[in-house]
Amino acid sequence: MESLVEQLEGIVGREAVVSSREKMESYLFDETCIPVRPSAVPDCILVKPVNSMEVSKILRLANEKKVPVYPRGGGTGLVGGAVPTRSGIIVSLERMNRVEIDVENLMAVAEAGATLGGLLKAAEEAGLSFPPHPGDEGAQIGGLVACNAGGARAVKYGVMRSFVKGLEVVLPTGEILTLGGKLLKDNMGYNLMHLIIGSEGTLGIITKVVLRLNPKAPYSFTLLLPFNSRHDALNTVPRILRSGVTPLALEYVEKELMERSAEHLGEKWVFNGKVFLIAILAGEENVVYSEAEKLSQICVENNGLEPSVAERRDEQESILRIRSNIYTALKHDSMDILDTTVPPSEVGKLADAIDAIAENHDAYIPVYGHAADGNVHSHIMKRDAEKYEVLKREIYEATVSLGGTITGEHGVGKIRVKELYRFTHPKSIELMKGIKRLFDPNNILNPYTVLEV
Amino acid sequence: MEGLKTSLKTSVLLKQLLNIIVLVKQVPDIERVKFDVETGRIDRSSAPAEINPFDLNAIEAAVQIKEKMGGFITALSMGPMQAVSSLRDAVARGVDDAILLEDRRFAGADTLATSHTLAAAIRKIGSYDIILCGEKTVDGDTGQVGAEVAQLLEIPHIYYVSRIIRVSENSITVVSEAENASYTLESGFPVLLSVTRDVNKPRLPTLKSKMKAMKSEVKIWHAEDLSGFLDLDKAGYAGSPTWVQKVIVQKEKTRQCRIHRQVEDGLQELMRLLEAKGLV
Repeated sequence: MESLVEQLEGIVGREAVVSSREKMESYLFDETCIPVRPSAVPDCILVKPVNSMEVSKILRLANEKKVPVYPRGGGTGLVGGAVPTRSGIIVSLERMNRVEIDVENLMAVAEAGATLGGLLKAAEEAGLSFPPHPGDEGAQIGGLVACNAGGARAVKYGVMRSFVKGLEVVLPTGEILTLGGKLLKDNMGYNLMHLIIGSEGTLGIITKVVLRLNPKAPYSFTLLLPFNSRHDALNTVPRILRSGVTPLALEYVEKELMERSAEHLGEKWVFNGKVFLIAILAGEENVVYSEAEKLSQICVENNGLEPSVAERRDEQESILRIRSNIYTALKHDSMDILDTTVPPSEVGKLADAIDAIAENHDAYIPVYGHAADGNVHSHIMKRDAEKYEVLKREIYEATVSLGGTITGEHGVGKIRVKELYRFTHPKSIELMKGIKRLFDPNNILNPYTVLEV
Repeated sequence: MEGLKTSLKTSVLLKQLLNIIVLVKQVPDIERVKFDVETGRIDRSSAPAEINPFDLNAIEAAVQIKEKMGGFITALSMGPMQAVSSLRDAVARGVDDAILLEDRRFAGADTLATSHTLAAAIRKIGSYDIILCGEKTVDGDTGQVGAEVAQLLEIPHIYYVSRIIRVSENSITVVSEAENASYTLESGFPVLLSVTRDVNKPRLPTLKSKMKAMKSEVKIWHAEDLSGFLDLDKAGYAGSPTWVQKVIVQKEKTRQCRIHRQVEDGLQELMRLLEAKGLV
């Protein structure tokens, strides 16, 4: 491999190539639960290019030598997508982290290595906002787009895909393509940009992204809607969505998990009620209040308890932090975290089906999720390790029978390839493989991810 | 005779209800506010104003005492008219009455002048058993006002209260954290308590109470309203012996960090560095 190191040093400079394992340890894993996380190979070369031209040269070289390349963002994925499982080159985009805000067009142009936190800050400083919150703020824009990340704030404005207007992508064969742009309408030919979004680093390395921004909402608050029964809470969700009030986020959580997460963070969860809907509302203050009253009324009509409201930033952040950290609080004891998604009206049925599966197998499967998106997170715990495959299969079958998908936001990565094949029409798989071969004839880019070609 | 009985009964009942005053300050959201390095001033327009986070614990403590003992809670603040919104938030969180001390003659006050003004208003309120405040404000960070108010009112104060153990009609027992030790202290009334963030977890207001509070009346007291209670020479900028000569913002320093995988190598380098500085 030595000559490859030298050639890479020739492209990006000596200081941007790392070949000792100790110095690249943190680039070898992502946030996938350890029991199902693929093992990384010990002999990779880490490179940190600073522009798309360097990325292009790296890919040309790798393609010529048929060496696997693993694009690397913030490493916050949950399905092993970024883990290098064959000897090859890890391309970290971290040095490509510029963000420019185009106030006139309400767009941001972000390099792939810019973090979500960096984008949110830049947008806010320009008096604009990036409404979704597709995960950890250390996640990088390239990764978020490559994985079409979802997260909590997708109810009103959609997932990452809804915000991408343009891309710069480097193909495995080295060509640099610009797809889309600062355009709200673009109907020229097949939409390759949308093919790249969600391709999980298997078709090209995204180097730059044009993202749509919104004007900053002058006011926002988080409404906590408590209930004593899961059915009452989840049955309220479609009624809320029909009411004409569309919150930025509408999350479903259970008291026990919020208490566990709060304890994990050294905080406290002190609210009455067994289960909760958490709604984030944003807009003009008087509009937000009248929307909150409407939501409150709908909840009370559905046996909801007295709603509370977090208006201060610190109090809103505390609720959302506790919600977001359910995952981290459970992670240590988890085998795997699923993100099955059904039509929003079926969420209650899916949650019940998961409960029934847990009961049948004497397992513990905590459930929470993005209620209005139909996106349910369920954890299969280490205590049920022996039943992992059967529990996962039954949850997937229940989901699909409700008209759902096995993954709403985490993607396929390296750990759900088998299931993708199982639940997808063979013709679709054939088409996907054909597309992969067309983009990546030597199968160098993130191999064994999404598909096995 | 009957009337006297009733009034005696009322006064006994009233005696059991505690009068609680909570000192509240409106501050900018300190994580968002911009700071002008040149002038050393906070640009208050750059961030939303809200109740000082530590004061939320004081309000919650007051509400919990009231829930246990019955009583009447007054929130008292000094500041510009915008502070009305924070006092309404205090009402949403369970405070019964809110008073804002607003006058340009109160402006520019340091902690001492602020304390004189607050103490004057408390004297005017007249009846009080417990005064609660947060341990400090996030914009001033001094933690002096509570103790100064107590001193001016000539009442005892207990600082850094992390737990309220017991409240009765005429005394309160608390745990105070001071100088790396915990003290269990009991005081009769009136007393001023400055609470830490450990004392409780402030509840969120309900939507109903928030909506109701938006229309609640906040009493505004100007300098004239404190006449007879406040010597104006001791208020505002004129009454402030403190002045800010210069504000220095620490510059970020970049330091080189080295990680030694071999403990021996690390220890050797450390020893070499310590020797070079003549420390060993």
